[in-house]
Amino acid sequence: MRTGRFAMTVAIGFLVVAAGAVAQQATSINIPFETYRLPNGLTVITSIDRTTPTVAVNMWYHVGSKNETKGRTGFAHLFEHVMFTGSGHVPYGTHDKLTEGVGGSNNGTTSNDRTTYYETVPSNYVESALWLEADRMGFLLDSLDLTKLNAQRDIVKNERREGLDNQPYGRAFEILAQETYPASHPYSWDVIGSMEDLSAASEDDVKSFFRLYYAPNNAFLSIVGDFDPAQAKAWVQKYFADIPAGKPITRPKVEPVVLDAERRLVFEDRVQLPRLYVQWPTVGEKSEDRFALDVLGATLSGPRTARLTKALVYDKQTAASVSVNQSTNEDVGDFQMIIVPRPGNSLTDLEQAADAIIERFKAEGPTAEEIQKATAGEELAFVRGLESNLGKAMRLSDGAGFHGDAGYYKTEYSKGQSVTAADVKRVANKYLTKGRVVLSIVPTGKLDQASKPAESKKVTE
Amino acid sequence: MMRTRLRGLASLTILLVVVTSFDVSARQALDRTKAPAPGKTPELRVPAWTKTTLANGADFIVSEKHDLPLVSFSVTFLGGSNQFEPAERTGLASMTASMMSEGTKSRDGEALSNALQLLGTSVSTTVGGESGSISCVSTTDKFVQTLDILADMLLNSTFPADALERLRAQRLVALTQARAEPDEIAGRVFPKVLYGPAHPYGRVTTEESIKAMTRDDVVAFHGKYFQPGRALITVVGDVTAAGSKPVIEKALAAWPKNGSRPDFAYPAVPERPKTTIYLVDRPGAAQSTVAIGQPGPPRSTPDYYAMQVMNTMLGGMFQSRLNANIREEKGYSYGVSSSFGFGKGPGPFRTGGDIVGDKTDAALVEFMKELKGILGERPVTDEELQTAKDSLIQRLPGTFASVTAINGALTSLWRQGLPDDYYQQYSKAVAAVTKADVLGVAKKYIDIDRLAIVVVGDRASIEAPLKATNIAPIAYLDIEGAPKTQ
Repeated sequence: MRTGRFAMTVAIGFLVVAAGAVAQQATSINIPFETYRLPNGLTVITSIDRTTPTVAVNMWYHVGSKNETKGRTGFAHLFEHVMFTGSGHVPYGTHDKLTEGVGGSNNGTTSNDRTTYYETVPSNYVESALWLEADRMGFLLDSLDLTKLNAQRDIVKNERREGLDNQPYGRAFEILAQETYPASHPYSWDVIGSMEDLSAASEDDVKSFFRLYYAPNNAFLSIVGDFDPAQAKAWVQKYFADIPAGKPITRPKVEPVVLDAERRLVFEDRVQLPRLYVQWPTVGEKSEDRFALDVLGATLSGPRTARLTKALVYDKQTAASVSVNQSTNEDVGDFQMIIVPRPGNSLTDLEQAADAIIERFKAEGPTAEEIQKATAGEELAFVRGLESNLGKAMRLSDGAGFHGDAGYYKTEYSKGQSVTAADVKRVANKYLTKGRVVLSIVPTGKLDQASKPAESKKVTE
Repeated sequence: MMRTRLRGLASLTILLVVVTSFDVSARQALDRTKAPAPGKTPELRVPAWTKTTLANGADFIVSEKHDLPLVSFSVTFLGGSNQFEPAERTGLASMTASMMSEGTKSRDGEALSNALQLLGTSVSTTVGGESGSISCVSTTDKFVQTLDILADMLLNSTFPADALERLRAQRLVALTQARAEPDEIAGRVFPKVLYGPAHPYGRVTTEESIKAMTRDDVVAFHGKYFQPGRALITVVGDVTAAGSKPVIEKALAAWPKNGSRPDFAYPAVPERPKTTIYLVDRPGAAQSTVAIGQPGPPRSTPDYYAMQVMNTMLGGMFQSRLNANIREEKGYSYGVSSSFGFGKGPGPFRTGGDIVGDKTDAALVEFMKELKGILGERPVTDEELQTAKDSLIQRLPGTFASVTAINGALTSLWRQGLPDDYYQQYSKAVAAVTKADVLGVAKKYIDIDRLAIVVVGDRASIEAPLKATNIAPIAYLDIEGAPKTQ
């Protein structure tokens, strides 16, 4: 399937795919762009925006934590850090100097599914940004050494401490993933990885990971902002064309997960108040149901009229806050509910109250007005997104990387807008079942504050 | 080496076969060792705006931007909780702001929420230490309707008593949660240590003040604070100056002239004690949250530009001295930084970050080393100075990308009383900063003998190593910043 999409794009060659040209309707849901591929497989997407004299360059690699192997969790993200330590012709520090040092910025992010690197620069520094990205794609290993790897390893361990271990409730999503997916499943570990596995990562790991995944045929380069497209095309050719394609990549087989029974857990943390987390396994980017699940989340929590928020925070006033949403990854997704109780209200009672509201919702479905309210904000959100070069670059790259279509944002938008009350009712019944993980996080020594403490297994690690 | 050459040959072949129209330089063997030279520096394009005064005394700014169907609207108030909140009612300003979403004479809280959801937008009300605002962003076609609701919230809020009780309970939960969050603990203790309870900068919201707040307090604060005499109204985006004025005058017709601008007179900052480590115990913490600093000057200081350049080198960028050393070289942290809290009063100089527990002492030694460095022990190089200036100057053109960013930039000029050509003059002022200026402001504003060093971490494991550094004596505080006996 993936090859097919590539082949089609190759056939188009250097011709401009003018997705923007067809959309001269009275709509703001439009990002004019061009896309083409180099013979080595690098997909290039360009989009002009002359609002400010700046440009965002985004290099998107189709690799994330789900490509990691057992015993090397956290490696994709650790590798992302190594990508900032200099490369064959770019001494360490030059990258920051040619981005932040000229009024721009740079960063990288790693998810379960992709790793992305970006530079935002004044419009006269586009060529150097491309030079930087090309050099680490082509020549990272020329300057790799263990000292650099070790320094980044320590930093990433601190990132884990700051975000998870030293943060109240910080371990929640790691524990939920471990319990929702079987140990062999590539979504069963958190992107940050375990301390033990971070310690184990070796120089050889870096080399083999780089050779396989950091090849142009696994990369999507987006350039968005105020630049001359012909000049940009020449620079892309100049810096990227001679980087050889890599070997074919075997993607992990990701099976959807259905839990046959409820799994109940309790975790003790340095917190003052207990908190309830519920997670149902759902679907990923490729499933149509994700759109209805997004709307489901928006009808259950958020504004004061949303079902759970209204009932628990405003009417009964047993919760301080409720948040519900669908989190969509490439192959799978999770529907998550978090309830923060008001003192004096047990998690057991809150869980029961939330379940009763969800059951009622499953029986009656949402009203037409609820659907309208949940989707009315999408246009504004989209148009505001158009104000950011980087935001557009990310959007175009995600479409190209996950769906083989940089213009996928239009499909995404229209599918989001066409969700019906019947769709939402159907997905609520399909996914919000007994097969879920219920996690109570309680103050240390207060296991009895868990929801249904007798039925909840203590998480010890 | 050989691999590089092979790649060069391959590149030539591909170029000849596949591409024929690219420039000649691309056909030559590519020398990747040299960073491409930048093109011509882009021109700074500061958005144009018009400024008038409305009959009710509010200033009124319109800036047009028509590339997208968006409007950013705000009413900004000069002064905030520091000027208008009674000392024993900390949190009242913020509570009043929240209460303005709870219902008006013609719409209850749910009706407000429903109407805004159907318009696809929201109205945000906030009151900070020295300014506050009520604002919205909408698509052009929904602007007038959104503005109508915003005006209703500003002028006709009813402040229902039951909503106050709900918000009070939610804030008490948030305060309880904050006691477990190391950043929050440091964020509450640090200002208390620097400014003490008599200075508005040293005040934090407490359980007592949240519990004591009455509906009368809220009504009184609202009546006193949200007045046009200290307000700026800004409309930025897909509107015209001529067209938007009558729309706004109509929406705010029932807002009579009242209120004046505060004078921002702050009491003197307490005398700074000798450098002290204030240790807040968080048993079992994997990291220590460190905040080091002292009161600084207000934004109006003529030293502003030199201070910005100095701080950019010290801790304002990724490759600044502090982060390059403590994160990148030593690996003690995920990130450290420094900043000056420029406001109307003596905002703090602050540096620090989250440090792995067993390197708390070693990191503190490095913080002190870098502070001494910028104070003269490690002179600033020409390259450092140039990079800091380039970073500050060339950042400016990109700051006018969105309607909210333009609104923020124009509002900021007004709040700080800066001239209309501030953005045009900014680069000249930064470019003029010399190494001597940098050293001068470092010495003037960083007093290494009178620093407050707040450390929130696991006392059992970090206390002895901290003592052994001999950097400063240790004082012990609880998580609210009150002294502990031992």
